[in-house]
Amino acid sequence: MSLARLNIVDRPLPKGKSEVSLSAFAFLFSELVQYCLANVKSTGELESRLESVGVGVGLRLLELLCQRERASKRDIRLLDALKFVSTTLWKYLFGHQARDLEHSTTAPDEYMINDYDLFVNKYISLPKDYASLNCAAFVAGIVRGALDGAGFPSRVTAHFVPVQGQAKPKTVILVKFDASVMKREERLPS
Amino acid sequence: METMNAEIFTLTYGSMVRQLLVDTEDVEEVNKQLDKMGYNIGVRLIDEFLAKSKINKCVDFRDSAEKLAKVGFKMFLNTTASVTSWNAEGTECSLILEDNPMTDFVELPEGCSRKLRYCNLLCGVIRGALRMVNLNVSCNFVQDVLWDDPVSELRLKLISTGAENYPFKDDD
Amino acid sequence: MGVFTIYFFDREGTCLFYHEWSRPKPVKLGAGTPGDDQKMLFGLFFQLKVFAAAMDPKGKPNAQLGAPTRIGESCSFHSFTTDLYKLHFAESPSGLKIVLTTDPTVGDMRESMAYIYSYIYVECVVKNPMYSPGQPFRFETFTTQLNDFIQSLGLLQ
Repeated sequence: MSLARLNIVDRPLPKGKSEVSLSAFAFLFSELVQYCLANVKSTGELESRLESVGVGVGLRLLELLCQRERASKRDIRLLDALKFVSTTLWKYLFGHQARDLEHSTTAPDEYMINDYDLFVNKYISLPKDYASLNCAAFVAGIVRGALDGAGFPSRVTAHFVPVQGQAKPKTVILVKFDASVMKREERLPS
Repeated sequence: METMNAEIFTLTYGSMVRQLLVDTEDVEEVNKQLDKMGYNIGVRLIDEFLAKSKINKCVDFRDSAEKLAKVGFKMFLNTTASVTSWNAEGTECSLILEDNPMTDFVELPEGCSRKLRYCNLLCGVIRGALRMVNLNVSCNFVQDVLWDDPVSELRLKLISTGAENYPFKDDD
Repeated sequence: MGVFTIYFFDREGTCLFYHEWSRPKPVKLGAGTPGDDQKMLFGLFFQLKVFAAAMDPKGKPNAQLGAPTRIGESCSFHSFTTDLYKLHFAESPSGLKIVLTTDPTVGDMRESMAYIYSYIYVECVVKNPMYSPGQPFRFETFTTQLNDFIQSLGLLQ
Protein backbone atom coordinates (compact mmCIF):
# COMPACT_ATOMS: atom_id res chain seq x y z
CA MET A 1 0.00 0.00 0.00
CA SER A 2 1.41 3.33 -0.96
CA LEU A 3 1.80 6.06 1.61
CA ALA A 4 -0.75 8.16 -0.17
CA ARG A 5 -3.42 5.56 0.53
CA LEU A 6 -2.84 5.61 4.27
CA ASN A 7 -5.01 7.85 6.35
CA ILE A 8 -3.15 11.07 7.02
CA VAL A 9 -2.83 10.42 10.76
CA ASP A 10 -1.21 7.04 10.07
CA ARG A 11 1.46 8.50 7.86
CA PRO A 12 4.73 9.44 9.48
CA LEU A 13 5.19 13.14 10.12
CA PRO A 14 7.47 14.57 7.42
CA LYS A 15 10.94 15.34 8.73
CA GLY A 16 10.68 18.94 7.63
CA LYS A 17 13.99 19.00 5.84
CA SER A 18 12.73 19.67 2.34
CA GLU A 19 13.12 23.06 0.77
CA VAL A 20 11.45 25.09 -1.94
CA SER A 21 12.82 28.19 -3.59
CA LEU A 22 12.21 31.44 -1.78
CA SER A 23 10.87 32.70 -5.11
CA ALA A 24 8.05 30.16 -5.05
CA PHE A 25 6.99 31.61 -1.72
CA ALA A 26 7.48 35.19 -2.97
CA PHE A 27 5.17 34.54 -5.93
CA LEU A 28 2.55 32.84 -3.80
CA PHE A 29 2.71 35.61 -1.23
CA SER A 30 2.50 38.29 -3.93
CA GLU A 31 -0.63 36.75 -5.31
CA LEU A 32 -2.07 36.49 -1.82
CA VAL A 33 -1.44 40.22 -1.35
CA GLN A 34 -2.99 40.97 -4.76
CA TYR A 35 -6.02 38.82 -3.92
CA CYS A 36 -6.49 40.60 -0.62
CA LEU A 37 -5.94 44.01 -2.24
CA ALA A 38 -8.82 43.45 -4.65
CA ASN A 39 -11.29 43.21 -1.80
CA VAL A 40 -10.21 45.93 0.60
CA LYS A 41 -10.47 49.68 0.94
CA SER A 42 -7.62 50.49 3.28
CA THR A 43 -4.15 49.43 4.34
CA GLY A 44 -5.58 48.36 7.70
CA GLU A 45 -8.09 46.04 6.08
CA LEU A 46 -5.41 44.54 3.86
CA GLU A 47 -3.22 43.87 6.87
CA SER A 48 -6.03 42.22 8.77
CA ARG A 49 -6.72 39.86 5.84
CA LEU A 50 -3.05 38.93 5.62
CA GLU A 51 -3.09 38.42 9.35
CA SER A 52 -6.02 36.03 9.20
CA VAL A 53 -4.20 33.83 6.66
CA GLY A 54 -1.17 33.93 8.96
CA VAL A 55 -3.25 32.72 11.91
CA GLY A 56 -4.02 29.49 10.05
CA VAL A 57 -0.31 28.94 9.54
CA GLY A 58 0.58 29.77 13.15
CA LEU A 59 -1.92 27.36 14.66
CA ARG A 60 -0.54 24.49 12.59
CA LEU A 61 3.09 25.43 13.12
CA LEU A 62 2.58 25.33 16.87
CA GLU A 63 1.31 21.77 16.66
CA LEU A 64 3.99 20.73 14.22
CA LEU A 65 6.87 22.18 16.21
CA CYS A 66 5.53 20.89 19.52
CA GLN A 67 5.31 17.40 18.07
CA ARG A 68 8.66 17.49 16.41
CA GLU A 69 10.90 19.40 18.72
CA ARG A 70 9.42 19.38 22.16
CA ALA A 71 7.77 16.01 22.64
CA SER A 72 4.43 17.75 23.03
CA LYS A 73 5.32 19.80 26.07
CA ARG A 74 3.04 22.80 26.43
CA ASP A 75 3.97 26.13 27.96
CA ILE A 76 1.67 27.39 30.64
CA ARG A 77 3.55 30.56 31.55
CA LEU A 78 3.25 33.66 29.44
CA LEU A 79 6.97 34.35 29.22
CA ASP A 80 7.75 30.76 28.21
CA ALA A 81 5.18 30.91 25.42
CA LEU A 82 6.64 34.17 24.16
CA LYS A 83 10.16 32.77 24.29
CA PHE A 84 9.02 29.76 22.32
CA VAL A 85 7.73 32.15 19.65
CA SER A 86 10.80 34.37 19.53
CA THR A 87 13.31 31.50 19.53
CA THR A 88 12.00 28.12 18.31
CA LEU A 89 9.28 29.39 16.01
CA TRP A 90 11.42 32.28 14.75
CA LYS A 91 14.34 30.01 13.97
CA TYR A 92 12.07 27.72 12.07
CA LEU A 93 10.55 30.58 10.07
CA PHE A 94 13.53 32.80 9.47
CA GLY A 95 16.60 30.71 10.22
CA HIS A 96 17.55 32.84 13.23
CA GLN A 97 16.15 33.88 16.58
CA ALA A 98 14.34 37.20 16.83
CA ARG A 99 16.72 40.08 17.50
CA ASP A 100 15.12 40.70 20.87
CA LEU A 101 12.04 40.32 22.96
CA GLU A 102 11.04 43.39 24.91
CA HIS A 103 8.47 44.05 27.64
CA SER A 104 6.66 47.36 27.32
CA THR A 105 7.55 49.79 30.07
CA THR A 106 4.14 51.43 29.97
CA ALA A 107 1.69 48.59 29.39
CA PRO A 108 2.29 45.38 31.37
CA ASP A 109 0.24 43.32 28.92
CA GLU A 110 2.33 44.34 25.89
CA TYR A 111 5.43 42.65 24.53
CA MET A 112 7.48 43.40 21.45
CA ILE A 113 9.37 41.01 19.23
CA ASN A 114 11.94 42.99 17.23
CA ASP A 115 13.68 41.93 14.07
CA TYR A 116 15.00 43.08 10.71
CA ASP A 117 14.62 41.83 7.15
CA LEU A 118 11.75 39.39 7.45
CA PHE A 119 11.39 37.53 4.17
CA VAL A 120 7.82 38.72 3.67
CA ASN A 121 9.21 42.21 3.17
CA LYS A 122 12.19 41.13 1.12
CA TYR A 123 10.89 42.04 -2.33
CA ILE A 124 8.40 44.69 -1.44
CA SER A 125 8.68 48.29 -2.49
CA LEU A 126 5.64 50.34 -1.65
CA PRO A 127 3.76 52.71 -3.88
CA LYS A 128 2.59 55.96 -2.26
CA ASP A 129 -1.00 54.80 -1.74
CA TYR A 130 0.19 52.02 0.53
CA ALA A 131 3.22 53.69 2.07
CA SER A 132 2.45 52.40 5.56
CA LEU A 133 1.71 48.79 4.61
CA ASN A 134 3.71 46.21 6.49
CA CYS A 135 3.42 42.70 5.08
CA ALA A 136 4.75 41.42 8.39
CA ALA A 137 1.04 41.52 9.30
CA PHE A 138 1.20 37.97 7.96
CA VAL A 139 3.92 37.14 10.51
CA ALA A 140 1.83 38.86 13.20
CA GLY A 141 -0.93 36.43 12.21
CA ILE A 142 1.41 33.46 12.58
CA VAL A 143 2.41 34.69 16.05
CA ARG A 144 -1.22 35.20 17.05
CA GLY A 145 -2.13 31.74 15.77
CA ALA A 146 0.70 30.09 17.67
CA LEU A 147 -0.09 31.94 20.92
CA ASP A 148 -3.80 31.35 20.54
CA GLY A 149 -3.25 27.65 19.98
CA ALA A 150 -1.20 27.51 23.18
CA GLY A 151 -3.98 29.17 25.18
CA PHE A 152 -2.71 32.74 25.14
CA PRO A 153 -5.24 34.76 23.15
CA SER A 154 -3.85 38.13 22.15
CA ARG A 155 -3.98 40.93 19.65
CA VAL A 156 -0.87 41.03 17.48
CA THR A 157 0.15 43.80 15.11
CA ALA A 158 3.19 44.56 12.97
CA HIS A 159 4.88 47.94 12.75
CA PHE A 160 7.87 49.51 11.08
CA VAL A 161 9.97 51.53 13.52
CA PRO A 162 12.83 53.66 12.20
CA VAL A 163 16.14 53.11 13.97
CA GLN A 164 18.71 55.86 14.29
CA GLY A 165 21.76 55.24 12.15
CA GLN A 166 20.09 52.42 10.19
CA ALA A 167 18.85 52.72 6.63
CA LYS A 168 16.16 50.10 7.12
CA PRO A 169 13.49 50.33 9.80
CA LYS A 170 13.08 47.43 12.19
CA THR A 171 9.89 45.42 12.27
CA VAL A 172 8.18 45.27 15.61
CA ILE A 173 5.64 42.55 16.26
CA LEU A 174 3.54 43.93 19.09
CA VAL A 175 1.74 41.38 21.23
CA LYS A 176 -1.04 42.60 23.51
CA PHE A 177 -2.37 39.79 25.66
CA ASP A 178 -6.01 39.32 26.40
CA ALA A 179 -7.13 40.44 29.88
CA SER A 180 -8.00 36.82 30.73
CA VAL A 181 -4.38 35.80 30.11
CA MET A 182 -3.07 38.54 32.38
CA LYS A 183 -5.48 37.57 35.16
CA ARG A 184 -4.52 33.90 34.93
CA GLU A 185 -0.85 34.82 34.92
CA GLU A 186 -1.30 36.87 38.13
CA ARG A 187 -2.78 33.89 39.93
CA LEU A 188 0.19 31.67 39.08
CA PRO A 189 3.13 31.73 41.52
CA SER A 190 5.98 33.91 40.28
CA MET B 1 18.63 29.89 -5.80
CA GLU B 2 17.80 30.97 -2.32
CA THR B 3 15.59 28.43 -0.61
CA MET B 4 13.29 28.21 2.38
CA ASN B 5 11.66 25.53 4.47
CA ALA B 6 9.06 23.91 2.25
CA GLU B 7 6.60 23.51 5.11
CA ILE B 8 6.09 27.25 5.49
CA PHE B 9 5.21 27.39 1.81
CA THR B 10 2.91 24.38 2.18
CA LEU B 11 1.13 25.73 5.23
CA THR B 12 0.77 29.19 3.72
CA TYR B 13 -0.79 27.69 0.63
CA GLY B 14 -3.11 25.60 2.77
CA SER B 15 -4.18 28.57 4.81
CA MET B 16 -4.84 30.52 1.63
CA VAL B 17 -7.04 27.76 0.20
CA ARG B 18 -8.95 27.70 3.47
CA GLN B 19 -9.40 31.47 3.29
CA LEU B 20 -10.79 31.13 -0.25
CA LEU B 21 -13.23 28.48 0.93
CA VAL B 22 -14.38 30.84 3.67
CA ASP B 23 -14.61 33.81 1.27
CA THR B 24 -16.47 32.09 -1.56
CA GLU B 25 -18.30 29.25 0.24
CA ASP B 26 -18.30 27.33 -3.02
CA VAL B 27 -15.84 24.63 -4.04
CA GLU B 28 -16.21 25.24 -7.77
CA GLU B 29 -15.60 28.94 -7.22
CA VAL B 30 -12.44 28.12 -5.25
CA ASN B 31 -11.17 25.96 -8.14
CA LYS B 32 -11.68 28.90 -10.48
CA GLN B 33 -10.08 31.38 -8.12
CA LEU B 34 -7.04 29.13 -7.61
CA ASP B 35 -6.65 28.77 -11.35
CA LYS B 36 -6.89 32.53 -11.78
CA MET B 37 -4.38 33.23 -9.03
CA GLY B 38 -2.07 30.64 -10.54
CA TYR B 39 -2.39 32.26 -13.94
CA ASN B 40 -1.30 35.60 -12.46
CA ILE B 41 1.65 33.89 -10.81
CA GLY B 42 2.62 32.17 -14.08
CA VAL B 43 2.60 35.46 -15.93
CA ARG B 44 5.20 36.79 -13.48
CA LEU B 45 7.15 33.66 -12.77
CA ILE B 46 8.02 33.06 -16.42
CA ASP B 47 10.39 36.03 -16.30
CA GLU B 48 12.36 34.62 -13.42
CA PHE B 49 12.35 31.21 -15.05
CA LEU B 50 13.74 32.64 -18.31
CA ALA B 51 16.23 34.87 -16.52
CA LYS B 52 17.62 32.12 -14.26
CA SER B 53 17.54 29.26 -16.75
CA LYS B 54 19.07 31.42 -19.50
CA ILE B 55 16.61 29.85 -21.91
CA ASN B 56 16.16 32.35 -24.70
CA LYS B 57 13.43 30.73 -26.70
CA CYS B 58 10.42 28.52 -26.12
CA VAL B 59 8.78 27.87 -29.44
CA ASP B 60 8.23 24.15 -29.50
CA PHE B 61 5.48 22.66 -27.33
CA ARG B 62 7.20 19.32 -26.77
CA ASP B 63 10.43 20.98 -25.77
CA SER B 64 8.65 23.53 -23.55
CA ALA B 65 6.74 20.80 -21.72
CA GLU B 66 10.01 19.01 -20.96
CA LYS B 67 11.65 22.21 -19.70
CA LEU B 68 8.63 23.00 -17.60
CA ALA B 69 8.70 19.58 -15.97
CA LYS B 70 12.45 19.24 -15.52
CA VAL B 71 13.71 22.79 -15.05
CA GLY B 72 10.62 24.68 -13.88
CA PHE B 73 9.41 22.32 -11.16
CA LYS B 74 12.97 21.89 -9.97
CA MET B 75 13.66 25.60 -9.84
CA PHE B 76 10.60 26.58 -7.84
CA LEU B 77 9.29 23.53 -5.98
CA ASN B 78 12.52 21.55 -5.81
CA THR B 79 10.82 18.50 -7.28
CA THR B 80 10.43 17.20 -10.81
CA ALA B 81 7.58 15.96 -12.90
CA SER B 82 7.71 13.43 -15.68
CA VAL B 83 6.16 14.03 -19.06
CA THR B 84 4.23 11.04 -20.38
CA SER B 85 1.32 9.92 -22.54
CA TRP B 86 1.88 12.09 -25.59
CA ASN B 87 -0.87 11.88 -28.16
CA ALA B 88 0.08 11.09 -31.77
CA GLU B 89 -0.10 14.71 -32.90
CA GLY B 90 2.19 15.89 -30.12
CA THR B 91 -0.38 18.37 -28.83
CA GLU B 92 -1.31 16.68 -25.56
CA CYS B 93 0.70 15.24 -22.73
CA SER B 94 0.51 14.43 -19.06
CA LEU B 95 2.68 15.70 -16.25
CA ILE B 96 3.03 13.19 -13.46
CA LEU B 97 3.96 14.67 -10.08
CA GLU B 98 5.63 12.07 -7.92
CA ASP B 99 6.33 14.37 -5.06
CA ASN B 100 4.41 17.58 -4.65
CA PRO B 101 5.29 19.59 -1.54
CA MET B 102 1.97 21.40 -1.75
CA THR B 103 0.05 18.33 -0.60
CA ASP B 104 2.02 17.55 2.57
CA PHE B 105 -0.21 17.57 5.67
CA VAL B 106 -3.30 17.78 3.47
CA GLU B 107 -6.39 15.68 3.71
CA LEU B 108 -9.51 16.88 2.01
CA PRO B 109 -12.65 16.95 4.11
CA GLU B 110 -15.34 14.46 3.15
CA GLY B 111 -17.45 15.91 0.41
CA CYS B 112 -14.54 17.74 -1.17
CA SER B 113 -12.92 14.71 -2.78
CA ARG B 114 -13.20 14.79 -6.57
CA LYS B 115 -14.58 18.29 -6.25
CA LEU B 116 -11.91 20.51 -4.75
CA ARG B 117 -8.88 20.63 -7.01
CA TYR B 118 -6.60 21.57 -4.16
CA CYS B 119 -3.54 22.19 -6.29
CA ASN B 120 -5.41 23.93 -9.09
CA LEU B 121 -3.04 26.85 -8.60
CA LEU B 122 -0.43 24.78 -10.44
CA CYS B 123 -2.67 24.47 -13.51
CA GLY B 124 -3.03 28.23 -13.59
CA VAL B 125 0.71 28.77 -13.19
CA ILE B 126 1.44 26.50 -16.14
CA ARG B 127 -1.25 28.10 -18.27
CA GLY B 128 -0.05 31.63 -17.44
CA ALA B 129 3.63 30.90 -17.94
CA LEU B 130 3.12 29.17 -21.29
CA ARG B 131 0.72 31.88 -22.43
CA MET B 132 3.55 34.38 -22.09
CA VAL B 133 5.69 32.41 -24.52
CA ASN B 134 2.83 32.22 -27.04
CA LEU B 135 1.69 28.70 -26.19
CA ASN B 136 -2.00 28.67 -25.36
CA VAL B 137 -2.76 25.56 -23.37
CA SER B 138 -5.41 24.12 -21.17
CA CYS B 139 -4.28 22.32 -18.05
CA ASN B 140 -6.36 20.19 -15.70
CA PHE B 141 -5.99 17.65 -12.94
CA VAL B 142 -7.14 14.22 -14.05
CA GLN B 143 -5.73 12.31 -11.09
CA ASP B 144 -4.88 13.62 -7.64
CA VAL B 145 -3.27 11.82 -4.72
CA LEU B 146 -5.64 13.81 -2.52
CA TRP B 147 -8.50 12.02 -4.25
CA ASP B 148 -6.81 8.71 -3.38
CA ASP B 149 -5.45 8.28 -6.89
CA PRO B 150 -2.03 6.61 -7.03
CA VAL B 151 -0.38 9.69 -8.58
CA SER B 152 -1.17 13.28 -9.40
CA GLU B 153 -1.56 13.81 -13.11
CA LEU B 154 -2.02 17.07 -14.97
CA ARG B 155 -3.26 16.88 -18.54
CA LEU B 156 -1.81 19.55 -20.79
CA LYS B 157 -3.43 20.34 -24.14
CA LEU B 158 -2.05 22.73 -26.70
CA ILE B 159 -4.85 24.88 -28.07
CA SER B 160 -2.93 27.25 -30.29
CA THR B 161 0.46 28.79 -30.79
CA GLY B 162 0.32 32.37 -31.84
CA ALA B 163 2.87 34.77 -33.12
CA GLU B 164 2.97 38.07 -31.34
CA ASN B 165 0.72 40.51 -33.16
CA TYR B 166 0.92 44.25 -33.27
CA PRO B 167 -1.24 45.23 -30.29
CA PHE B 168 -2.51 48.52 -31.69
CA LYS B 169 -5.04 49.07 -34.42
CA ASP B 170 -3.86 51.22 -37.28
CA ASP B 171 -4.45 54.91 -36.75
CA ASP B 172 -5.82 54.67 -33.25
CA MET C 1 26.54 62.23 -21.07
CA GLY C 2 25.83 58.76 -22.34
CA VAL C 3 22.26 57.74 -21.70
CA PHE C 4 19.00 59.45 -22.61
CA THR C 5 15.94 57.34 -21.90
CA ILE C 6 14.68 53.87 -21.05
CA TYR C 7 11.31 52.25 -21.79
CA PHE C 8 9.83 48.93 -20.67
CA PHE C 9 6.92 47.55 -22.68
CA ASP C 10 4.90 44.41 -22.14
CA ARG C 11 3.65 42.22 -24.96
CA GLU C 12 0.37 44.12 -25.13
CA GLY C 13 2.20 47.33 -25.96
CA THR C 14 1.67 48.90 -22.54
CA CYS C 15 4.55 51.07 -21.47
CA LEU C 16 5.20 49.73 -17.97
CA PHE C 17 7.99 52.10 -17.11
CA TYR C 18 9.65 55.14 -18.62
CA HIS C 19 12.53 57.15 -17.31
CA GLU C 20 14.55 59.93 -18.83
CA TRP C 21 17.99 60.82 -17.61
CA SER C 22 18.41 63.44 -20.26
CA ARG C 23 16.14 64.47 -23.08
CA PRO C 24 17.26 67.73 -24.70
CA LYS C 25 14.20 67.71 -26.95
CA PRO C 26 11.29 67.10 -24.57
CA VAL C 27 8.37 64.84 -25.51
CA LYS C 28 6.04 67.78 -26.02
CA LEU C 29 8.22 69.07 -28.85
CA GLY C 30 8.35 65.59 -30.37
CA ALA C 31 5.42 63.19 -30.36
CA GLY C 32 3.45 65.58 -28.16
CA THR C 33 2.18 63.40 -25.31
CA PRO C 34 3.97 60.61 -23.45
CA GLY C 35 1.29 58.21 -24.72
CA ASP C 36 1.99 59.08 -28.35
CA ASP C 37 5.72 59.01 -27.77
CA GLN C 38 5.51 55.49 -26.37
CA LYS C 39 3.23 54.24 -29.10
CA MET C 40 5.45 55.65 -31.85
CA LEU C 41 8.48 54.02 -30.33
CA PHE C 42 6.64 50.72 -30.02
CA GLY C 43 5.62 50.95 -33.68
CA LEU C 44 9.18 51.78 -34.67
CA PHE C 45 10.84 48.74 -33.14
CA PHE C 46 7.94 46.40 -33.88
CA GLN C 47 8.02 47.15 -37.59
CA LEU C 48 11.79 47.22 -37.69
CA LYS C 49 11.81 43.76 -36.19
CA VAL C 50 9.30 42.48 -38.73
CA PHE C 51 11.21 43.91 -41.69
CA ALA C 52 14.59 42.87 -40.35
CA ALA C 53 13.30 39.30 -40.19
CA ALA C 54 11.70 39.49 -43.62
CA MET C 55 14.95 40.63 -45.22
CA ASP C 56 17.00 37.95 -43.52
CA PRO C 57 19.09 36.37 -46.27
CA LYS C 58 19.74 33.22 -44.20
CA GLY C 59 16.42 32.40 -42.52
CA LYS C 60 13.55 30.11 -43.38
CA PRO C 61 12.31 30.24 -46.97
CA ASN C 62 8.81 31.42 -47.82
CA ALA C 63 8.47 33.64 -44.78
CA GLN C 64 5.72 36.04 -45.65
CA LEU C 65 6.91 39.60 -45.87
CA GLY C 66 5.71 41.54 -42.89
CA ALA C 67 4.30 38.57 -41.00
CA PRO C 68 4.95 38.83 -37.27
CA THR C 69 7.49 36.36 -35.98
CA ARG C 70 7.75 34.65 -32.67
CA ILE C 71 10.42 35.73 -30.27
CA GLY C 72 13.49 33.56 -30.53
CA GLU C 73 12.24 31.97 -33.72
CA SER C 74 13.75 34.34 -36.18
CA CYS C 75 16.40 37.02 -36.26
CA SER C 76 15.90 40.24 -34.36
CA PHE C 77 17.82 43.48 -34.33
CA HIS C 78 19.49 44.59 -31.13
CA SER C 79 20.40 48.17 -31.90
CA PHE C 80 20.47 50.82 -34.56
CA THR C 81 22.59 53.91 -34.71
CA THR C 82 21.83 57.31 -36.15
CA ASP C 83 24.22 60.23 -36.24
CA LEU C 84 22.62 61.65 -33.09
CA TYR C 85 21.60 58.71 -30.97
CA LYS C 86 21.68 54.94 -30.68
CA LEU C 87 18.67 52.79 -29.81
CA HIS C 88 19.28 49.51 -28.00
CA PHE C 89 16.55 46.89 -28.03
CA ALA C 90 16.17 43.71 -26.00
CA GLU C 91 13.27 41.32 -25.74
CA SER C 92 12.60 38.29 -23.57
CA PRO C 93 10.73 35.21 -24.82
CA SER C 94 7.90 36.30 -22.50
CA GLY C 95 7.50 39.44 -24.57
CA LEU C 96 9.02 42.04 -22.26
CA LYS C 97 10.77 44.68 -24.33
CA ILE C 98 13.40 47.07 -23.09
CA VAL C 99 14.50 50.07 -25.13
CA LEU C 100 17.44 52.20 -24.13
CA THR C 101 18.54 55.30 -26.01
CA THR C 102 22.10 56.53 -25.67
CA ASP C 103 24.78 58.53 -27.42
CA PRO C 104 25.77 56.93 -30.71
CA THR C 105 29.25 56.21 -29.34
CA VAL C 106 28.00 53.81 -26.65
CA GLY C 107 29.02 50.20 -27.33
CA ASP C 108 27.15 46.90 -27.20
CA MET C 109 24.58 46.99 -24.37
CA ARG C 110 23.16 43.48 -24.77
CA GLU C 111 24.75 42.09 -21.64
CA SER C 112 23.83 45.12 -19.60
CA MET C 113 20.23 44.90 -20.71
CA ALA C 114 20.16 41.20 -19.87
CA TYR C 115 21.39 42.17 -16.41
CA ILE C 116 18.66 44.79 -16.05
CA TYR C 117 16.08 42.17 -16.97
CA SER C 118 17.42 39.29 -14.88
CA TYR C 119 18.51 41.08 -11.76
CA ILE C 120 16.70 44.37 -11.52
CA TYR C 121 13.35 43.82 -13.24
CA VAL C 122 12.85 40.25 -11.97
CA GLU C 123 13.95 40.98 -8.40
CA CYS C 124 12.38 44.40 -7.87
CA VAL C 125 9.26 44.26 -10.01
CA VAL C 126 8.22 40.70 -10.80
CA LYS C 127 8.59 39.52 -7.20
CA ASN C 128 7.19 42.66 -5.63
CA PRO C 129 3.79 41.87 -4.09
CA MET C 130 2.57 45.35 -5.00
CA TYR C 131 3.13 44.86 -8.73
CA SER C 132 0.09 43.95 -10.83
CA PRO C 133 1.11 42.47 -14.18
CA GLY C 134 0.23 44.65 -17.15
CA GLN C 135 0.04 47.82 -15.08
CA PRO C 136 2.67 50.57 -15.23
CA PHE C 137 4.85 50.45 -12.14
CA ARG C 138 6.99 52.88 -10.22
CA PHE C 139 8.87 51.36 -7.31
CA GLU C 140 11.61 53.12 -5.44
CA THR C 141 13.91 50.09 -5.16
CA PHE C 142 13.64 49.47 -8.89
CA THR C 143 14.36 53.08 -9.85
CA THR C 144 17.28 53.29 -7.42
CA GLN C 145 18.88 50.04 -8.57
CA LEU C 146 18.42 50.91 -12.23
CA ASN C 147 19.98 54.29 -11.68
CA ASP C 148 22.89 52.81 -9.71
CA PHE C 149 23.51 50.27 -12.43
CA ILE C 150 23.51 52.85 -15.24
CA GLN C 151 25.83 54.95 -13.12
CA SER C 152 28.17 51.98 -12.60
CA LEU C 153 28.45 51.65 -16.38
CA GLY C 154 29.77 55.19 -16.51
CA LEU C 155 26.84 56.42 -18.55
CA LEU C 156 25.86 59.17 -16.14
CA GLN C 157 27.84 62.23 -15.30
